[in-house]
Amino acid sequence: MNTHRRLLGFAVPALLLGSALALSACSAVAPTEPVSTDKTLVYASGDAEPTCLDPHVGGNYPQSLLAAQFLEQLVSENKDGEFTPWLAKSWTTSPDGLTWTFTLADNVKFSDGTPLDAAAVVRNIEHVQDPETKSSTGYLALAKVSKATATDAHTVTLNLSQPDSALLESLSQPWLAIESPAGLARSQDENCQAPIGTGAFVVDSWKRQDSVTLSRNPHYTTGKGEPALAKITWRFIPDSATRIAALRSGDVQMIDNAQPDTIAASAASDEIKHLDAPRPGSVNRIEFNSSRGPLADERVREALVRGVDVNAGIKTLFFGTATRSYSPLSSVEKLGFSEPKLFDTDVNAAKKLLDEAGWVPGTDGIREKDGQKLSLKFPVSTNQSIPAEQSLFEQIQEQAKGLGIAITITPLDLSSWYEALGKNDYDLVSAPYTKVGPDVLRILYHSAGITPAPSGYFANHAQVNLPALDDLLTRAAETGDQTERASLYEQAQKTILEGYYILPLYDQQNHFLYSGKLTGVGEVNSVGNPLLRGVSFAG
Amino acid sequence: MRIGGAILVLWAAATATFFAVRLIPGDPAQAFLGGPGSQASAEALARVRAENGFDLPLWQQYLDYLGRLLRGELGTSYSLHAPVSEVVGEQLAGTLELALWSLVIAWVIALGLALWSVAGGPVAARIAAGIEMTAAVLPHFWLGSVLILLFATGLGWLPAIATPDARGIILPALTLAIPLAGFLAQLLREALQDAAAQPFVLTARARGESHASVFARHTLRHAAGPAIGLTGWAFGSLMSGAVVVETIFARPGLGRTLVSAVQVRDVPLVIGLTLVAAAAYLVVSVLSDLAERALNPALRIRTEAGAGA
Repeated sequence: MNTHRRLLGFAVPALLLGSALALSACSAVAPTEPVSTDKTLVYASGDAEPTCLDPHVGGNYPQSLLAAQFLEQLVSENKDGEFTPWLAKSWTTSPDGLTWTFTLADNVKFSDGTPLDAAAVVRNIEHVQDPETKSSTGYLALAKVSKATATDAHTVTLNLSQPDSALLESLSQPWLAIESPAGLARSQDENCQAPIGTGAFVVDSWKRQDSVTLSRNPHYTTGKGEPALAKITWRFIPDSATRIAALRSGDVQMIDNAQPDTIAASAASDEIKHLDAPRPGSVNRIEFNSSRGPLADERVREALVRGVDVNAGIKTLFFGTATRSYSPLSSVEKLGFSEPKLFDTDVNAAKKLLDEAGWVPGTDGIREKDGQKLSLKFPVSTNQSIPAEQSLFEQIQEQAKGLGIAITITPLDLSSWYEALGKNDYDLVSAPYTKVGPDVLRILYHSAGITPAPSGYFANHAQVNLPALDDLLTRAAETGDQTERASLYEQAQKTILEGYYILPLYDQQNHFLYSGKLTGVGEVNSVGNPLLRGVSFAG
Repeated sequence: MRIGGAILVLWAAATATFFAVRLIPGDPAQAFLGGPGSQASAEALARVRAENGFDLPLWQQYLDYLGRLLRGELGTSYSLHAPVSEVVGEQLAGTLELALWSLVIAWVIALGLALWSVAGGPVAARIAAGIEMTAAVLPHFWLGSVLILLFATGLGWLPAIATPDARGIILPALTLAIPLAGFLAQLLREALQDAAAQPFVLTARARGESHASVFARHTLRHAAGPAIGLTGWAFGSLMSGAVVVETIFARPGLGRTLVSAVQVRDVPLVIGLTLVAAAAYLVVSVLSDLAERALNPALRIRTEAGAGA
């Protein structure tokens, strides 16, 4: 069943991606048509402008989109989920899984002319682990790495405190990209302005609230040939209507955060093409806070899941651009496990479950128990939920009312939303989480994720607290046996789905639209950032 | 006297902003360390609180803040990791350029509309009044989107977003100018009709001056006074309109920077931007006041007489 859904879910994006990759490979190796090499591509990003261009600092998705153009990682992931060499040409693991040895690619230079050597990699790992760097994403990913050593000029040894089955997945992420030690030696403010890497482009300048200018790295050796674009102007255009208008009028050639209606409207024309690059890690889902109130009762959670039909809403609100998910993991995760039959809509069964749980309809139609109304709080982050998703939540709210459940949706800015979560003042919540590999399950559903960090942040919003699940996730994160790993993650996902802790919706949407004049678009890294190194203007 | 008033306005703006930004939800120390959702350690948070005085009582923070302002220190932006004065310096030119162009375009449209309505008789006056009323109430975000659809996506004449060449400023400036023009034209037309009935106009005509000369030297001069006096106010409204327009057209400037500063709770930057906007508004309103005085002898005489008494 898993394979079946996987095939369906994958067919279209894989075909698109496959053909685009083939195209980019063609144009790089033996151009079939002439390409211009003096062109500037203008990219319009709808994400917030990063406050620092070094993805070691903090570490969010907007940073990765940009950094993917000028920084590279030790390993890469192909579309079959296999890890392939990048800055490291090979690696080995000790039998106990506690020692990893990476051999670096030969003759790679940073754009400042200094060579990529083992000392540089060690310096990068230390930089991410240094509290002064204020790394969050990269820091967490290296949690089990206790020591990095340069064994010789081109060999790096990582010593781990515990075996880490997710290490390669972690190292493929842009938040652990390798930068020039000379760049890192500067002050943080300086390095934030223009980090130095080995990527296809280099950062020329950054005009705040406007754009970042990148230019071709003439010494680029780690890809297939020299990049065709001379420059990239990376603009920040927060308004989605302006972004698509600028693409249609030719002012820009590529946009991100494309909205469902514009993707559907562009499908008919050849002038604008679509790249769908779902993010890895978690799916977009509604999490049920199982630590308090009515949703502590599994029957109420199940009633909510089975009493609402989200498929029709997803189809209409997303214009066919989003595919329904029945898994805790993104469709790009090879170890994702789906159980669609759990989510079959049956309103009568749902009502019966609520009756059994002791919630009986009151005079206003809302159910009651011991004088308590069955009302649920749903704080929604307007920064993270696009308008189509907010409409979907409203449809769910309407359908829940029919079951006798009152859901109060509160749209909030990011700070207020985190505050509501920190105070445990929510019953339903939807939060994205991007990470390569199934280890994201440990972050989101291990009971350790309930304890907030000093900042108030915690990741286990469903507040799942099951020792058996903790055990599965810990063992899965440590095993070196791939078959055992897959089986443990399948059991973990079954537990999460069958306990009705989440209502999976669809992959974290990551849609790009680009001008039909571009060729070679389609190559993406392990987190779904498009790589523009193979892109050129046709003719 | 005027300088005293200006200082009072700046102090009020600084005070209001200082307390208003504290109403934005969220922890300032966390905002300093990368915003909500950051995984800052307890030690880092404590250090930032102590370094920035977030742990002091509010009145003490306020006094410290006023003291720093008096020394001309605007502080460092949390989110951009740069001195606020530097950020403001970078962003001010874009907004001033936009506001000035909008003002010029608004005046040209308003004058054209008002003259046509006065010269064209009652039907023209009625049509002009309708246009003015409609233009004056158009929301910037709607107008901006319509102009983009029409001139950028549809006709392809102008870029939808700010470009290095001058063409990029036309649509954003028009978006700000059209509602303002509606407002100014309304004011001008009424003043023109009012001035045409003034005795000095009749006297000038009786002296044998031509119709055109009377219009330019007396009627228009008399009528333009109040509208010019309002330019200070208009400039203020353009600065607030810039928040929307700079975001829609992806133009760098104070307005757009303010939006992102509020979103990430960047207190020093919000305060710095607000103060600079208040100062710019003050400068322009003093200038427009002086211009109105220069145009209208009656105002000069009244003040001089008042000062003498």
